[in-house]
Amino acid sequence: MTHQPISIVVVIAASIGGIAILNAVIFWLMPRLTRPDLYFAVTVPPGFRDGREATSILRRYRTELIFFSVLAMSVFLTGVAWFSVGFVSVGPIIQTVAGFIAFYRARRQTLPHAVPPTMIREAELHQHEKVIPGGWIAAGGPFLLLAACAAYLWTREAETPALFSGLWHVNGQLIELRGHTLPIYLITVFAILTSMSLVLYGLAHWVRPVHAGGREATRELKFRRTVSVIILVTEYYVTLEASWIMSITHHNGLIPVVTFPLTVVFVLVVLLVLGRLGQGGSRLLAAEDASSAVSVVPIGDRTPDCHWKLGVFYFNRDDSAVIVEKRFGLGYGLNFARPIAWGIVLLILMAPLIPILAHFTRFLPRAGA
Amino acid sequence: MMYKLDGRMLRIDLASRVPVYEQIANGLRAELVSGEFNPGEKLPTVRTLAIDLGVHHNTVAEAYRQLANEGWLELRRHHGAIVRDRDQPAAGSDTMERFKRPLHELIAKGLSDGLSPSSLARELIEIARRLERKTSP
Repeated sequence: MTHQPISIVVVIAASIGGIAILNAVIFWLMPRLTRPDLYFAVTVPPGFRDGREATSILRRYRTELIFFSVLAMSVFLTGVAWFSVGFVSVGPIIQTVAGFIAFYRARRQTLPHAVPPTMIREAELHQHEKVIPGGWIAAGGPFLLLAACAAYLWTREAETPALFSGLWHVNGQLIELRGHTLPIYLITVFAILTSMSLVLYGLAHWVRPVHAGGREATRELKFRRTVSVIILVTEYYVTLEASWIMSITHHNGLIPVVTFPLTVVFVLVVLLVLGRLGQGGSRLLAAEDASSAVSVVPIGDRTPDCHWKLGVFYFNRDDSAVIVEKRFGLGYGLNFARPIAWGIVLLILMAPLIPILAHFTRFLPRAGA
Repeated sequence: MMYKLDGRMLRIDLASRVPVYEQIANGLRAELVSGEFNPGEKLPTVRTLAIDLGVHHNTVAEAYRQLANEGWLELRRHHGAIVRDRDQPAAGSDTMERFKRPLHELIAKGLSDGLSPSSLARELIEIARRLERKTSP
């Protein structure tokens, strides 16, 4: 079997480059994808976004983004030229950090124009519409798949060294196998699925709708269902990919060549779908709604600005909602005043920590000579 | 407007001087009086309503307790709040007195906002008749 480590590294580098470009595009477009009464995570008067001051803030923000994206791309290309994986990875990290700095600076420029959002709160008193398509049967599917994969590998235990391609180094070199590796891999995937299922449950029961009725509520529900579907699809994708990796019999550098680009394409599709909807379904505003949509008092996301730390982290003890709409970004974030939110964060962090901890306790194999 | 009366929607104003739990209780009472909920029907759970309104769950719990004390709801642990078949109590000697002051303030607000006494009276009578029709057997 021939190994082509150079082409594998090129694919990985290209995928990281793709992520960096996607990153830049997201930061570029984000200010226009949020709710109309929110600008750089600040509640603003209706129509502010289209005014001169807002345009000026946006221009400065995008100029900084271009500068930092060029810097990040330079680091990335240097890494490619020097064949250094470390340098390649640093590029997108620089860009992400710089993007948030640019956002934070734009937010500070917007703050003097902030207005208090409406203090009206609405709630529907009849049964909530279902959010998870397929219900809990569909949500349980990834766990059943993982269990089936685990059962399959257990029945082929004697062949595990050949089966478990995760034990092969990226250049095709076999890593020494230790008996505990497979359970740790399965536990890691299980932790990932559990954290995503918890978020899925939260989207159904712990999210406060911004609008309780009318067309806005319908658009919002459509957005929430779309995000739920995306999470569900991601769970299936993660499980199938992990099951394939664990079950593949011959490794010839195929895994990163397939998984990295596939992940980039998946992320791109998700962003296109959510970008089309806009945060909370705000871009689905029909023509007949546009004329009546401008209200005197801004609605925003009905959360006070003072509870948004750095415009990104929501902390409000008086709000029972665990999950709230993000103010800068597409999708949802957590109310860190609720203990369950920290539980979700812990579970998400557990997934990458499990193999690291196992490595330091010598459960994971190391590269062979 | 502190609470909305059209069909199973509750709306509160966090900037109002009226305590939030009282606004919630007032809004739910209006729904119950107008017959929007049948006896035996479940209200949203405390947690669900608190999340939807963006308030602390204790606030909603207090509103539910108030309505339970008035005989509107039966609170069962782990089962939520269930609408009771409530007997209409006889109005006490001070019942009208208790309503006069908030009614006085509400009407004064309407008059100061430019509404005429006749239009206010017409609206009040219309609302009372509508609620009476819904609650009468």
